[in-house]
Amino acid sequence: MGELGLVVAERAGRSFAAHQYHRGALRVLRPHYLDDSGQVCYVVVNPGGAYLGADLFLIDVEVGDSASLLLTTQSATKIYRTPGSFAEQQMHVRLGEGARLELMPDQLIAYREASYRQRTCVTLKPSSSLVMAEVVTPGWSPDGTAFRYEEVRLRSEMWVDAAEGDRQLLALDNLLIRPPSGDVSGMGFMEGYSHVGSLVVVDARVDQALADELNACAAEHDARTGISLTRAVAGTTGLVLRSLSNSTEDLNSLLSACNSLLRKRWYRQEPLDLRKH
Amino acid sequence: MLSTRTSTSRTLDTAAGEGGCARFAVPTTPQPPSPATASVGSYQLALQQLTDSALPTGAFAHSLGFETYVDAGVVADEAGFGAWLSMFISQSLTYSDGLAVRFLYEGWDVLDLDALLSAQLLPRQVREASIKMGGRLLEIGAEVFPSDALELYRDLVTSGAAAGHQPLAFAVVARSLGVPQQEALAAYLFATVTSLTQNAVRAIPLGQNAGQRVLRKAHDDVAAATERIARLTPDDFGAVSPGLEISQMRHERQRARMFMS
Repeated sequence: MGELGLVVAERAGRSFAAHQYHRGALRVLRPHYLDDSGQVCYVVVNPGGAYLGADLFLIDVEVGDSASLLLTTQSATKIYRTPGSFAEQQMHVRLGEGARLELMPDQLIAYREASYRQRTCVTLKPSSSLVMAEVVTPGWSPDGTAFRYEEVRLRSEMWVDAAEGDRQLLALDNLLIRPPSGDVSGMGFMEGYSHVGSLVVVDARVDQALADELNACAAEHDARTGISLTRAVAGTTGLVLRSLSNSTEDLNSLLSACNSLLRKRWYRQEPLDLRKH
Repeated sequence: MLSTRTSTSRTLDTAAGEGGCARFAVPTTPQPPSPATASVGSYQLALQQLTDSALPTGAFAHSLGFETYVDAGVVADEAGFGAWLSMFISQSLTYSDGLAVRFLYEGWDVLDLDALLSAQLLPRQVREASIKMGGRLLEIGAEVFPSDALELYRDLVTSGAAAGHQPLAFAVVARSLGVPQQEALAAYLFATVTSLTQNAVRAIPLGQNAGQRVLRKAHDDVAAATERIARLTPDDFGAVSPGLEISQMRHERQRARMFMS
């Protein structure tokens, strides 16, 4: 069990935690500033090391007007056996006017007989900016076979506050991998690859030209990638990139190259390098 | 002719009003087997018309992703297309369109379901295909099977509040005609499968008889999908298969294309 709350605000160009709390097996390390952009970086830590059956983790994040948060994890999210049950993470995010969230967790590893449900609900303004990455590994069992977990369910909803009292669903990304229900490795599903990665971007600056650029960037990596624009709501648009590959490293380098393009283009920031700090 | 059609529609419409779907399907008193014309169910012919591949919704222009596999040489013959179709039925068709039809029958708000489909169909061409074919179905439905429910959905689309998705347009019409849920669901799934197969026959190409063999084999997949859809939960709505979705996205950038999706 664990609970984490974080409210980030901005003052004089610098973002900081105006409020934070934690309970149980979730906490954040002290904040970092990786560059002089004013963006604050928090690292989520799970001292328990893994998620187990019936575990529930609640994360509540608010990024206030003009504030900027980079949220990442200290290590991979590991799901161990959850017999007859499942581990669950619920994350609620609210982004204010001109607020920015870069959500860059480490990969998810589900082991034999593990079930995991992750629900992420983001509510943002047409002027907010969201970049969210995710990598799921095949997990493995002691005999080395991949895809031995029961179920991994990653459901993300992106809502836009279009006007006062008018909240509209921009995108629903529902990734459900249930190896016992059939061959998940074959055509249409994993296409023979082992890892799946996603990048979701919601920003008023998203357009077809950007999608084409990111597609060209992804094409330089050893992965099979698709990229498409979501519907537009109140002047903002989403972009979803989905990629299949055979290693966490390949996907991380692809997702990070795409994110680097956005960081440079929109914020004149250097590529993200969490390891040097 | 026109007046006959109009009055028939009205009768169907009244019978199908709130909760009255079963009126024609389940007679109140046991009926002896009757000769041909009298026993043709009230909705049977309407459902056939609605699911006929000649219904001009533009389904001939959409591969919903299989053209990407054809282009890559992964789907090149009867067996290959059969395998693709089986995957498509058990994944995307089950979790998006099929579940949307079921939820509409169960009384979910059409506006909510419409928004869910617009948000969930992430590959742009597939989302646009659903809206394009849905729009045609709404138009045709308004002419030949008008009902209050259909009028309401059309108004929402006209005003821009809804996009007008194909499975919802179909479900609204089928429900107003009194077609039972499972029957409507199976008919919808099989109609989609039929269009895709006809498109594959042209595109791969396959022989006409091969197309029919693929369709016959798809019966079991469609039956399994209708059963599966009944057991899914709202959380399952729109679950994607990454490989198929990536192929549907990549179709946007495919050089030579026969299909719009």
